[in-house]
Amino acid sequence: MDEPLLQIRDLVVRYRRTGLFSAPPPPAVNAVSLELPTGSTLGLVGESGSGKSSLLRAILRLVPVESGTIRLDGDDWLALPEQSLRERRRAIGVVAQNPFLSLSPRLSIAEILAEPMTAQGRVPAQESRERAAEMLERCGLPGTFLDRRARELSGGQAQRVAIARALILQPKLLILDEPTSALDISVQAQILNLLADLKQELGLSMLFVTHNLKVVRHVSDKIVVMRGGRVVEAGSTEQISLAPTEAYTRQLMGYGRNLSGAEAALCRNRH
Amino acid sequence: MSLVEIKGLSIRFGSLHNPIHAVRRVDLSIERGTIHGLIGESGCGKTISGMALLGLLPQSARVSADAFRFDGLNLLDVAKSLRGRRIAMISQDPAAALNPVLRIGRQMDDVLKSHSGLPRFQRRAAAEELLAATGLADPRRVLKSYAHQLSGGMQQRVVIAQALATGADFIIADEPTTALDVTVGAQVLALLKRLVQERALTVLMITHDMDVVAECCDSATVLYAGHTVEAGRTDELLAAPRHPYTQALLAALPDAVAKGERLASIEGHIPSPFAVIEGCPFAPRCASAMAVCRQAKPPERDDGNHCWTCHLEPHHG
Repeated sequence: MDEPLLQIRDLVVRYRRTGLFSAPPPPAVNAVSLELPTGSTLGLVGESGSGKSSLLRAILRLVPVESGTIRLDGDDWLALPEQSLRERRRAIGVVAQNPFLSLSPRLSIAEILAEPMTAQGRVPAQESRERAAEMLERCGLPGTFLDRRARELSGGQAQRVAIARALILQPKLLILDEPTSALDISVQAQILNLLADLKQELGLSMLFVTHNLKVVRHVSDKIVVMRGGRVVEAGSTEQISLAPTEAYTRQLMGYGRNLSGAEAALCRNRH
Repeated sequence: MSLVEIKGLSIRFGSLHNPIHAVRRVDLSIERGTIHGLIGESGCGKTISGMALLGLLPQSARVSADAFRFDGLNLLDVAKSLRGRRIAMISQDPAAALNPVLRIGRQMDDVLKSHSGLPRFQRRAAAEELLAATGLADPRRVLKSYAHQLSGGMQQRVVIAQALATGADFIIADEPTTALDVTVGAQVLALLKRLVQERALTVLMITHDMDVVAECCDSATVLYAGHTVEAGRTDELLAAPRHPYTQALLAALPDAVAKGERLASIEGHIPSPFAVIEGCPFAPRCASAMAVCRQAKPPERDDGNHCWTCHLEPHHG
């Protein structure tokens, strides 16, 4: 338990140059270090283009990393060879922002939930269905939903299916990319409650990406703020929300409490 | 007199025997020179109410209302002729609202050509002026750009400039900040607030985000299942909501409880648009529902500058 589940050190991600003679672009993720202790939730905050998504992709090993290390569950994650990667990837579950884009409209819910299991090797149809039904119920949907299709579900129901799919291989790390921003307020409350329950029951660690400061304050133990590919601020939720040092964080934290200075702040930043 | 005065608006689609009730009974009153929020969750009828104000409902819609007035004019007769002259719209996704293959200058010019009556050589200056008024730092460069060369916040400013170019004094903004970053969204809201003051505009802000309402609306109306359930000044509405639905909605926000505690979610689902609703639309999900709530329409209550519809006596709330 001493070693954090996820440990990132000086990670640099840089995309390829656009032309043969053009200068290499600035790194999308620039020397980022962060730690996610086992069983805790880390909130990752930042505006568009701040490098959040590139960081997530690097953790999922979907983009090449220029330098730095990622340790996940004791492994040197970036050094794992391709062959063992498929098997080890089950340690991470991902929930995306829009469930209707992330769930295939052509498959039944049973098929959607069976896919991760199939990807890990052959599972007898009966067993796969039972596990799918069990996970679905854990996520608050009756087993009868197995024969429906994603397009027949409401936004909240579809997001529950997406969470069930992310959890079906019993990952240790759950990555949530704006999981509630496409949902109504009352549905958002249901999903956040569900995530809190699952975290406790399954001992999950979560990496929670969001713009919504109210949500991030509610769910996270620690918050990391990114800007321009760098971590500009990191600390406990209380610390960051009570005494943010970065102007950007202050702006975010003040939102919804009548932030009339937003435009003035923009003008100041420009000059 | 209010700029917009809607009483008992109902919009139905489909067959006469089994109609789809998109809007059942919406009351909406908007004062001149204010930003009025129209709050509600998906499917409560907020966007279609906005469409009705713009005269953009399809032919198949059956609209009825006790009163449906804009500046004293009956909108059931004249909505189409007011759109683009006195009523303009800002949509959720600015990238979709702008033409991807025409430069911004051409698109601004098209709007000015058909609405301002200015000669060509003056329209260019007018376009620059409007873009500058929306806080764009370099209007000349923006006029030469295509939409994809601008950021989301800049695109939304261009769309706002186009709305201003029509000369409209009433703007319907349908979730104008949902597609934007939080801080950029806050800047767009601050811009709208400034324009309302400088140009005597009136804005109807359609949103499901309570932060947006707190941020910029002077007053707001809460919709549930096609009904107006509560309306009033923003500070009162957010600080002392009277209708159980508004209370439940605010209690479901993540900052309503201490960190780590369970959020109060609203059990059940919104009624189907086919359903016939006898009593209060919120009764099946309401924690304080009584027998009468399912049988009779709730009375309209008013405590001065805050009105709501509920069977509960005010002192219970």
